[in-house]
Amino acid sequence: MKYLSEYRDPELARSLVDRIRAESSRSWTLMEVCGGQTHTIVKQGIPEVLGDSVELIHGPGCPVCVTPLEQIDRALYLAERPEVIFTSFGDMLRVPGSECDLFQVRARGGEVRVVYSPLDALELARANPDREIVFFAVGFETTAPANAMAVWRARELDVPNFSVLVSHVTVPPAMTAILESPDNRVEGFLAAGHVCTVMGWEEYEPLASAHRVPIVVTGFEPVDILEGIWMAVRQLEEGRSEVENQYARSVRRDGNRPAREIVSRVFQLVDRQWRGIGEIPASGLGLRPEFAPWDAEKKFELGGIRATEPEECRAGDVLRGRIKPVECAAFGGACTPETPLGAPMVSSEGACAAYWAYARYRGTDSAPGAASREGAASGTPGAP
Amino acid sequence: MCLGIPGKIVEMYGTEGLPMGVVDFGGVRREVCLAYVADEVKPGDYAIVHVGFAISLVDEEEALRTYEALKELDQLDEIEWMSEIGSGRPPGPAETPEG
Ligand code: SF4
Repeated sequence: MKYLSEYRDPELARSLVDRIRAESSRSWTLMEVCGGQTHTIVKQGIPEVLGDSVELIHGPGCPVCVTPLEQIDRALYLAERPEVIFTSFGDMLRVPGSECDLFQVRARGGEVRVVYSPLDALELARANPDREIVFFAVGFETTAPANAMAVWRARELDVPNFSVLVSHVTVPPAMTAILESPDNRVEGFLAAGHVCTVMGWEEYEPLASAHRVPIVVTGFEPVDILEGIWMAVRQLEEGRSEVENQYARSVRRDGNRPAREIVSRVFQLVDRQWRGIGEIPASGLGLRPEFAPWDAEKKFELGGIRATEPEECRAGDVLRGRIKPVECAAFGGACTPETPLGAPMVSSEGACAAYWAYARYRGTDSAPGAASREGAASGTPGAP
Repeated sequence: MCLGIPGKIVEMYGTEGLPMGVVDFGGVRREVCLAYVADEVKPGDYAIVHVGFAISLVDEEEALRTYEALKELDQLDEIEWMSEIGSGRPPGPAETPEG
């Protein structure tokens, strides 16, 4: 347990670890959904301190990673058009499309702007009535209230030269898809605290009871995660499968009501492709028909753009928790943050980036062949 | 993108009917939409902000701890986006709202 001294509250961390180890009658398999949690887990060496009491498998909670290649290619196509100013959150710029990324399109003269808030993109549209401003609306439930408001305001303020390329996904259907897959090993979930800050946890209750899995709404700090694991283990040991809330300081059962209200007025549930995973029914948010004038897919007729994902990148297996990043043959060789083959290596929430950033994982025996890659582990941890 | 960044609300106002405000993120100040917390906040409160929208309230101690935790995890990318808007963009006829 050498890493416990690095915790901000090492005593609390130690007592949680001791309880988890003492109370586990066998090795339980839990999935943390959120990519931010994955980073904490990898950075703090939580799998190591827990030994064989709990196996953590990393989930699909990286919005950048699950945005389908096709949607990236559509973004690239739009960004290249002379009348378009393409706007996006900063972490989409280096996500590889079929041919290149948004960063390269910008270097070649395409007008690509990073915005902090989707309302910035809307303001850009109002300031440039002779241009078409497209915003890349990606993310889980955490960014949906922001993106919904931008579209809502575009209608309210009558801004015709603004549109959104939507690739929104929602967490519960992905959890269902994982539980229903024939090779599922997940026995309990740490649900993503920040997603639940927006949405609450009502949607998780039928999931927990139908599949008999404990679901613990959990924060992303080290002690949060240890406590979430302990709560899930206690449920498993007692044969319970309930939704519990570890992250009570931020999450209420019904989430943020006004945010949910706007999201449901602007968006509706749609079937959505997940990069590397495929289509998951009713797993995404798309614009309601009354907002079609602000839908970039309708405005620019993007339906013809199709893409095939490269076989070398095993992002789909990583995102479903089937393999750890170090088990991908390209990890650290053909695929590094400088030359990424897949989004999980470039996103700050991606599992491959986490394993790369926290160098000690590049040399562990957590995967066959990982030790032989230690030579590649010379990068500065966390270097951009 | 998912974790949100805590900041202190230093100013509140309305812009064309939308509750807005200025939030201080560890010294970097930014305009933020307060529509989703408008009923419960006042200047001086701390909120978790996701891509320019305050979503939930936290106390000061929690805000500072969370901020440090995000920093350690390299998860403050939204603050980087704020600075990218201010500089480094290719010259063009269009201007951001800040000019
Ligand atoms: S290491 Fe690279 S190629 Fe392998 S799964 Fe991760 S992103 Fe894809």
